[in-house]
Amino acid sequence: MEDITRISQWVVTVAGRSVTLNATTLLMSWVVMAGLVGFAVAATRWPRAVPGPVQAAGELLVEGFRDLVNDTLGKLGPRYFSFILSLFVFILVSNWLGMIPFLEEPTKDLNTTLILGIVGFVVAHVSAVRAKGWKAYLAQYFQPVFIMFPLNVIGELAKVVSISFRLYGNIMGGSIIILVVSDLVRQLVLPPVLQAFFGFFIGTVQAFVFAMLTLTYISVAVQE
Amino acid sequence: MAFDVSGTDLVRAAALLGAGISMGFGAIGPGIGEGFAAGKACEGIARAPEHANLLTRTMLVGQAVSESTGIYALVVALLLIFVV
Repeated sequence: MEDITRISQWVVTVAGRSVTLNATTLLMSWVVMAGLVGFAVAATRWPRAVPGPVQAAGELLVEGFRDLVNDTLGKLGPRYFSFILSLFVFILVSNWLGMIPFLEEPTKDLNTTLILGIVGFVVAHVSAVRAKGWKAYLAQYFQPVFIMFPLNVIGELAKVVSISFRLYGNIMGGSIIILVVSDLVRQLVLPPVLQAFFGFFIGTVQAFVFAMLTLTYISVAVQE
Repeated sequence: MAFDVSGTDLVRAAALLGAGISMGFGAIGPGIGEGFAAGKACEGIARAPEHANLLTRTMLVGQAVSESTGIYALVVALLLIFVV
């Protein structure tokens, strides 16, 4: 039960400043990225007319998401498709990683989810400026009246907070429930079921929701 | 019977109590909201089964959004338990 609050950290000194790195999160992110690169290589390096299981899975994923992104964004779809898909796949594999013993989800750390949310925020706003120009972009903050400016800014910032806290809270809450209930039943029978529910089901839903919400923020930002 | 309760113990007790209350009340809203969304999606699928895919997708995103207040309550509860 003590390992809920335990965070393994590396403190390194760079140019006179001490920098704290969350060792587990970093290592696990690299594990996720290595797994994804391995999957991509296995799916695309030896293409065949009759695809094997790995190539078929990759094609299914890419085609399904391309239709989804093109439905939402229209002709701007191809530009953002790879960003949304990589966001989805990274979070999906991160959430699934907790099901493997001795591995932890990188998304259990607020730092990971917050930076993913900030990346989506920056992409949405940069594409808004590119689609509408500076003048129209700044003018939308003064809608419907001038007084509403602070509220609009807070509304935009709240999107980042809500999207990243949602992912973090779901994964962290799930792993705490798994720990507590597994302890209550003395590690008998129930833990794999809980792992499957929180890791597989909730993890998939949350990865999909994160990608969809980022897509929605982008599509709201580029419209009009 | 004599109790030796100091200030830190009181703060700890209040924090744990607050965590329970925050989680309990915070879970009411998302529970009602998500159930409502699922019920409406069921009605929609029953009426138009050919749109089941789109309806399920929209329902999941909508439920995730309405869940955020519950998640805020969870974060507050975690802060109260582990930080205070």
